[in-house]
Amino acid sequence: MHASGPQSKGRLLKLKLNGRWREDVVAESELLVDYLREVARLTGVKIGCDGGECGACTVLIDGEAVPSCITLAARCEGRHIETIEGLATQGRLSRLQRAFHEKLGTQCGFCTPGMIMAAEALLRRNPTPTNSEIRAALSGNLCRCTGYVKIVEAVEAAAGQLHDR
Amino acid sequence: MTSPLSEFHLAQPRTVKEAIAARLEHPGSRFVAGGTDLLVNMRRGISGPDLLIDLSGIDELTEIKTNGRGVTIGSGVTIATLARNTLVAARYCALLQAAEAIAGPGHRIMGTVGGNLCLDTRCIYYNQSEWWRRANAYCLKSRGDICHVAPQGQRCHAAYAGDLAPALLVLGAEVDIAGAQGHRRIPLGELYVEDGRAHLVLADGELIAAVHLPSDPPPSAYAKVRVRRAVDFPLAGVAVALAASLANVSSLRIALTGTNSRPFLLAGTELFIGRPIDEKLLQEIDRLVQKQVQPKRTTIVSANYRRAAAAALARRMTAKLFAERMA
Amino acid sequence: MTADPATDDRLPRRGVPLIDGVEKVTGRARYTADLDHADALVGRILRSPVSHGEIVRLGVSKARALEGVFAVVTGDDCPYTYGVLPVAMNEYPMARERVRYRGEPIAAVAAVDAETAERAIHLIELEMRRLPAYYTSAEARAPGATLLHDDKPGNIEREVHHEFGNWQQGFATADLVREEKISCAEVNHAQIEPHACLADYDPTTERLTVQSVSQVGYYLHLMLARCLEMDASRIRIVKPSIGGGFGARVEVLNFEIITALLARSAAGKVLMRLSREETFLTHRARPQTDITLRLAMRRDGRITACTCEVVQRGGAYAGYGIVTILYAGALLQGLYDIPAVKYDGYRVYANLPPCGAMRGHGSVDTRHVFECLLDRMARDLGLDPFAVRRANLLHAPTRTMNDLIVNSYGLPECLDRVECASRWHDRIGKLPDGKGLGMACSHYVSGAAKPIHWTGEPHAVVNVRLDFDGGITALTGAADIGQGSSTMVAITVSETLGVALNRVRVIAADSAVTPKDNGAYSSRITFMVGNAAIDAAKKLKAILVDAAARKLEARPDDIKMVGENFCIGSGEQASLSFAEVASAALVDRGAITVSGTFTCPPDAQGGRHKGGAVGSTMGFSYAAQVVEVSVDDATGTVTVDKVWAALDCGHAINPLAVEGQIQGSVWMGMGQALCEETRYIDGLPAHASLLEYRMPTIAESPPIEVHIVESHDPYGPFGAKETSEGALASFPPALVNAIANAIGIDFNELPVTPDRVMEALIQRRRQARLASALKAAT
Ligand SMILES: Cc1cc2nc3c(=O)[nH]c(=O)nc-3n(C[C@H](O)[C@H](O)[C@H](O)COP(=O)(O)OP(=O)(O)OC[C@H]3O[C@@H](n4cnc5c(N)ncnc54)[C@H](O)[C@@H]3O)c2cc1C
Ligand code: SF4
Ligand code: FES
Ligand code: FES
Repeated sequence: MHASGPQSKGRLLKLKLNGRWREDVVAESELLVDYLREVARLTGVKIGCDGGECGACTVLIDGEAVPSCITLAARCEGRHIETIEGLATQGRLSRLQRAFHEKLGTQCGFCTPGMIMAAEALLRRNPTPTNSEIRAALSGNLCRCTGYVKIVEAVEAAAGQLHDR
Repeated sequence: MTSPLSEFHLAQPRTVKEAIAARLEHPGSRFVAGGTDLLVNMRRGISGPDLLIDLSGIDELTEIKTNGRGVTIGSGVTIATLARNTLVAARYCALLQAAEAIAGPGHRIMGTVGGNLCLDTRCIYYNQSEWWRRANAYCLKSRGDICHVAPQGQRCHAAYAGDLAPALLVLGAEVDIAGAQGHRRIPLGELYVEDGRAHLVLADGELIAAVHLPSDPPPSAYAKVRVRRAVDFPLAGVAVALAASLANVSSLRIALTGTNSRPFLLAGTELFIGRPIDEKLLQEIDRLVQKQVQPKRTTIVSANYRRAAAAALARRMTAKLFAERMA
Repeated sequence: MTADPATDDRLPRRGVPLIDGVEKVTGRARYTADLDHADALVGRILRSPVSHGEIVRLGVSKARALEGVFAVVTGDDCPYTYGVLPVAMNEYPMARERVRYRGEPIAAVAAVDAETAERAIHLIELEMRRLPAYYTSAEARAPGATLLHDDKPGNIEREVHHEFGNWQQGFATADLVREEKISCAEVNHAQIEPHACLADYDPTTERLTVQSVSQVGYYLHLMLARCLEMDASRIRIVKPSIGGGFGARVEVLNFEIITALLARSAAGKVLMRLSREETFLTHRARPQTDITLRLAMRRDGRITACTCEVVQRGGAYAGYGIVTILYAGALLQGLYDIPAVKYDGYRVYANLPPCGAMRGHGSVDTRHVFECLLDRMARDLGLDPFAVRRANLLHAPTRTMNDLIVNSYGLPECLDRVECASRWHDRIGKLPDGKGLGMACSHYVSGAAKPIHWTGEPHAVVNVRLDFDGGITALTGAADIGQGSSTMVAITVSETLGVALNRVRVIAADSAVTPKDNGAYSSRITFMVGNAAIDAAKKLKAILVDAAARKLEARPDDIKMVGENFCIGSGEQASLSFAEVASAALVDRGAITVSGTFTCPPDAQGGRHKGGAVGSTMGFSYAAQVVEVSVDDATGTVTVDKVWAALDCGHAINPLAVEGQIQGSVWMGMGQALCEETRYIDGLPAHASLLEYRMPTIAESPPIEVHIVESHDPYGPFGAKETSEGALASFPPALVNAIANAIGIDFNELPVTPDRVMEALIQRRRQARLASALKAAT
């Protein structure tokens, strides 16, 4: 059992963030979203609601897409957290980023990081999803701009590219 | 920063025993599993434990085991894992359908079976910010004196709205409860009482360790009504398990969620045994449901709707299961 | 320039991704809450717990004394009202003496961190004396009701009474008269980005810099100068990336002024981030509306008269209310040819968060009722819904009776396109049980031809710069809030100049750099800013062509552009690269900045009747759509299976973006029609989360097939008109008409939620039983 004496409400947190290990002192009550935005300065992680309702804060924990605004940072010890900032490699857009850009899967862009991360988790698990599998995988991510039509098209396009290769 | 959570410690026990000991030692503590219910409530200031006891690191709670007598699902199994389990998919259709209908995909990855069964009850006067509840003088369920839903009454009518429980109820599940004195096992229905303020019979320090399902359940199904096709809690959720011989009922169980402060098995379905499934029987089911559900003004959507929709679902699903059997 | 008919019609028909799209998909785009706030204080607001009351005591000394608190401000710190229309500014950033809705700001603090700020808020002592509160228009209008604003008898913010043509005669000569009373719920913009504002005050230079979510930095600039009593020249407004607006941020919002007040009081930087609940409380969206509409029709479907009464529950303050209630009447016209119209509008005060402008401002609810009624009358007369619309078409160019000008009119083609694409005639009436088709039309303005703050300046100004690097920078005050307006500016400039798109940079909405713009509202940007951008680019092009001519010793008329090169003839003999021409142009004069403008001619600015300026525009977009639904009669759930939407946007400057805007607006109409609704429990919001405010998820959102119709408006930039609002208003009626087609029930309430459907079904069954019982008895 990890010690957590009543005196110390902070602890050293070690985790892998977008491929790199790092250590920070965090409060045990700190939410992952605040750690990512305020400590690691990864502001691509967005906050759209007061907790668990919109998906804007979606990040990958060990490859699975989850809302970081109802996740405690301290529970991510030793895990791999991926955010939108980690997707482009050496400045090259990932297949999903390119498809969201080219197909206009993004308008105001506020839901986009969360939406792309949810789609990323889907494509890793299922490289050739059907239309309804895409809809199911993104159903926790709200978008107010696009009506979702071009979001579905973007994910389909990205999956198609993957398929072609 | 989002509004900060009031400070607390996080304990991460490795065994059930440690978890229970920690819980008993700190009266102001709470168990947390996926946190998709508790942390949302904590962010609204509804609950402010000084210690959270994280159950997610306890390996013994995360297994799905099979033996001749059935299947045991650890309380720490996540909803997503449950929904991806082939055995569940093959044998416990209602459970699969319920799991897939819970919240959004991200919640299902974090949320657990135990957390779902122990989900706090919900009410439009309760699931609100601190500012909101304070402006409304709080309510019976938390910090206040009256219930805004039924001001004359003395009880809280907040609705239990977990999706798994009704499915598990019609499948004949039992829960394994671990406490300081060891384990006890009770039928799932006995875990709950009709009280929105305290709907679980768990004693201090007790936690749900696992759920047991019998190996040979009848065909089953689960469906819920909600405004959107994802994310929304059930306004009413219905599970049905039906066995028939020839055209007659040989066993029928119906369970409901979202309408009362507890999920419950519809009483009186044993009277249908031996009867053919026809319009008359479906009407009786409809009436039975309408009589036993007690939706109150705890949601924006009207209570009448939740009653009528529950009944409609129960009819439809019974008829459908029967038709599938005949096909 | 004033609006000259554009002649250039040879644009490539491709779509272009957003010029800021890469930042958005990589997470690099910085929204207000993402800006560097390491050294900023945290702002928090104390909000009223009561709906209507007098502030008896407000004690802030304990809060002020708390360690870590740097500023506490209250209504005492700002005795100035703010608002939209100069005649209707009746709201203080923080309440003074009286509060009028639950959630109204009363005081605010800035502290070192959120915890301290929240503790300070709890230390503020507040005593109130409650006053009677009203939550419906009827209660607020009842005789003897306490007035929210002493100068507004009957709690009516504004009454509008318009009559055009002889409507009495229209009714007398009609074959069919029908009336419907329909109620539309209040809805909210619910942009995914919660409100936020970062204000930085430098006490040494006495300068204030504000970065905020505003759609109209210019209004914010004006209101900050007013409320903080500052010289406007000491204020700078910078727009970060914005996560949607839809009208929520057209008005200056209380928290923006409060943040600036805190920053000045703390002599530093303050970040205010509102919660989702507070974002809902700030509101300014579409009001709950009751509409009674009467139409008169000849047997052939021709409308002969229309009377309409609209009652809007506007919330506690004026905001945009007067404009909304005027729009609701003015935009009865401009879509069809209606010979006589009588309109009575009432904007009512109630103890709820103030309403404001929302996508389709003013037009949506009246359009809904109108299109529902048209369909029902078509049914009564045995006419096809398309035929009824076609019986009432306008013929451009024309002016409506209330003086709206229609220069281009693609509605007939919109009708043809969706009729054909949906295979309407093959399928209507032949669908299986529970399935139905419905259709409706709508329109919207391309920018208000008369701006709210009339200063005599052009409607839009765009500056275009060229310097030694050959880079072209377009400077516009127009706020890109996700609709892609900066991309539109880049395209119009690059197309006009004939240069590659990535040679053009756009800098938008920084008051220190960009020319003033009236902002992102009423779909004005493409039309007005687009025209100004073209004007600027044409001026720059003339300079470049002159320079090339000088260098090539030719006449400017002989200079052609091939790619980015300037040449004579085919370019074989003499050709200059863009860089060469740019340097030539800079000789003697240095860096070049040209200014392009656009002004709506006075005769487009609306009729002379009172309120006649509202609704006036240089061009309307037109839309028609068909919606296919399935209704589950056991659960009352309505599923939208497919939508076919056609929109006449004049000319699609960026077809990709046009499609995106049409899909987004149709879908937003779907939310309003199907599931979105704000409700209050004694003035407390029951919907103030993204769980209870049920905007559709991707799971139930239908495919939306878009048909772009181009009517080439003579005054639009390249012929373009607006694209992002016009299609919204035809969704709700198309849906309600489709449900009627599916199950034979007409719904007179929006949204058509499962409980409402179920209730109607139960009632019908009950009536059927009663009827058959009666029949059996006789
Ligand atoms: C937007 C949103 C939508 C949602 N929609 C749905 C929905 O449609 N259907 C639905 O069913 N749920 C829904 N949920 C709730 C939640 O996501 C799920 O019910 C989830 O399964 C809860 O599990 P958890 O592990 O996250 O619970 P936690 O939040 O960890 O715990 C919930 C409660 O159970 C207690 N607890 C947890 N584990 C145990 C245990 N083993 N023994 C004893 N007590 C325990 C905790 O102390 C806490 O009181 C939704 C949540 C959100 C935020
Ligand atoms: S039912 Fe009554 S007591 Fe229970 S949460 Fe709702 S208002 Fe409170
Ligand atoms: S911010 Fe995390 S779900 Fe909305
Ligand atoms: S693009 Fe604006 S919310 Fe999705």
